[in-house]
Amino acid sequence: MKKLLVFVMILVSVVAAFSAQKLYIYSWADYIPEEVIEKFEKLYDCKVIYDTYDSNETMYAKLKAGARGYDIAFPSGDYTQIMIREGMVLPLDKSKIPNFKNIDPEVLKKIDYDPGNKYSVPYQMGSTGIAVNTKYLKDYPKSWKIFEMPEIRGRATLLDDMREVFGAALKYLGYSVNTTNIEELKQAKEVILKWKENIAKFDNELFAKGIISGEFWVVHGYGENIFYEATEEEAENIDFFIPQEGGTLWIDNMVILKGAKNIDLAYKFINFILEPEIAAEISDYLLLPCIVVPARELLQEERIYTVEDLKNCEMIKDLGENLKLYNELWNEIRFGMW
Amino acid sequence: MERTKRFLGFVLSFPGIIWLTLFFLLPTTIIVVYSFMTPGPYGGAYLPFTLKYYKMMITNQGFWILFMRTVVISVISTGICLALALPVAYYIATSKYKNFLLSLVIIPFWTNFLVRIFGWLVILGNNGLINRVLMYLHIIDKPVSLMYNQWSVILVIVYMYLPYMILPLYSSIEKFDFHLLEAAMDLGASRTKTIFSVLLPSIKGGISAGIVLVLIPVLGSYAIPDLVGGKDGAMLGNLIARQLTTARNWPLSSAISMIFLLISTVGLLVYLKFGEVRNRRNRVIYEDYIKEETNKIG
Repeated sequence: MKKLLVFVMILVSVVAAFSAQKLYIYSWADYIPEEVIEKFEKLYDCKVIYDTYDSNETMYAKLKAGARGYDIAFPSGDYTQIMIREGMVLPLDKSKIPNFKNIDPEVLKKIDYDPGNKYSVPYQMGSTGIAVNTKYLKDYPKSWKIFEMPEIRGRATLLDDMREVFGAALKYLGYSVNTTNIEELKQAKEVILKWKENIAKFDNELFAKGIISGEFWVVHGYGENIFYEATEEEAENIDFFIPQEGGTLWIDNMVILKGAKNIDLAYKFINFILEPEIAAEISDYLLLPCIVVPARELLQEERIYTVEDLKNCEMIKDLGENLKLYNELWNEIRFGMW
Repeated sequence: MERTKRFLGFVLSFPGIIWLTLFFLLPTTIIVVYSFMTPGPYGGAYLPFTLKYYKMMITNQGFWILFMRTVVISVISTGICLALALPVAYYIATSKYKNFLLSLVIIPFWTNFLVRIFGWLVILGNNGLINRVLMYLHIIDKPVSLMYNQWSVILVIVYMYLPYMILPLYSSIEKFDFHLLEAAMDLGASRTKTIFSVLLPSIKGGISAGIVLVLIPVLGSYAIPDLVGGKDGAMLGNLIARQLTTARNWPLSSAISMIFLLISTVGLLVYLKFGEVRNRRNRVIYEDYIKEETNKIG
């Protein structure tokens, strides 16, 4: 009898687990704090399945190749534009996202990849910058010029990301990060080749660990990744800045994917993320500039940089066919070919 | 009876055949077809069919540099693996503590591949173990760069793939009849001659299995050159990945993969053919010998 009872209980809980509503999220690693997800699960009595990708390209290639079953993805601006154009995302019913009004209008103004936010809701905004380990390097310019310093030879990394590195070189030369002028791009290539002489490697994986441990002294990368991994003591030795010439600006967005099965829950999730308390919690976790206005008063941690620091930064746009220009030059830089 | 047996064999191998068709043959076919197509602006492959991307690849000097680098790194790493694995496998096969030693070889598999690569950073890094010891001993006054070059790539590849060489060598050495060594020495062969003319030819199967198991995956390395390779450390695997993702050129990426597949297959066929001929010759010699001996006795 007792055995039967246990069996029934297991059965019931298994059935419950399977029948609970599920929300499938496809996003960047460590991008939403677990506590926030738990709160959402509790509030709506559902289960969130969080799958991660490490680049827009991976996410796009996987979805394009036919991956089904995800409800929400977090593409950056250029990929949001591509996915809208390719019909991979659903138009949003804003009446289901009342908290949309909480988003800073200054941020919304910058959004040209989805005018009027018909398909996407911004999640976070930030910029790629430079981190310096001040234990090893004391005197340096707050400029992209830092990559030309002979002192840092073999102790620096640039991102292994074509648009980011070109963006940096183009801004350094005073051009737009979205230029399709071949002369400007060739000049940028020369700058990058000069930087390449100085760096240890092009890297997307090790820069955070590397700058913290002192393996590298100067890295090009995302501040939130670095400070996420650093202890308080380690963080004191790290100076993260947006170079004075400006750099690339990114906005990651929440979109509901075509073919999503849990659309209602997806709307609830997007709205939940924009709640002031939740937005503040996320922002404190990522230490990025907070884009939800009423959340700003609730912040407890100091930011790595603020919205003002981003004034010279420019958003990376999708270039469509013109991407070829970048590709060819980047292949020459990276693989010595094409 | 024979027929039922054969039928049963067919039934039992059916799931395997389906599996291979679905998950090996089909994707490979897709890659073949894609390599002749035209890329879309956002990836994917579309009509018309074209040879453009094969031409683009073959006529490009950069591709051949990368190709040669990949082959050289892979061959060197496989050679080092073989040289290191032979004595180890021999020692394990003849040891009293076989099982214990074998488990030592297998233990690294319990730890995630990436974590083990990171482990090497702790040892070889600018602030790593080796540099610290050298600095402490005043042999150097500034850290030397041990990481982010071709040698660190080879080192980590050898470390990662060594077990794949040791295991097949071990299993063929274990089956080896060690009396043959004694016989050879009794007949006056030197130690070196015994090893090269008796032991090595008998474990040829294990050696070729080991080479295939190591060389082919190493040719396609992606994560190791990405993490421990320097700014010029990329291998073909990295180029394939880049063409597939950021460059959004699936046909070119498929074409490069095809060259790979072609070279691995040709290499494998040549090796098999070569091995088979040798085996047949050995068998003929052996049969002649038996015949001769029987005649003598007769």
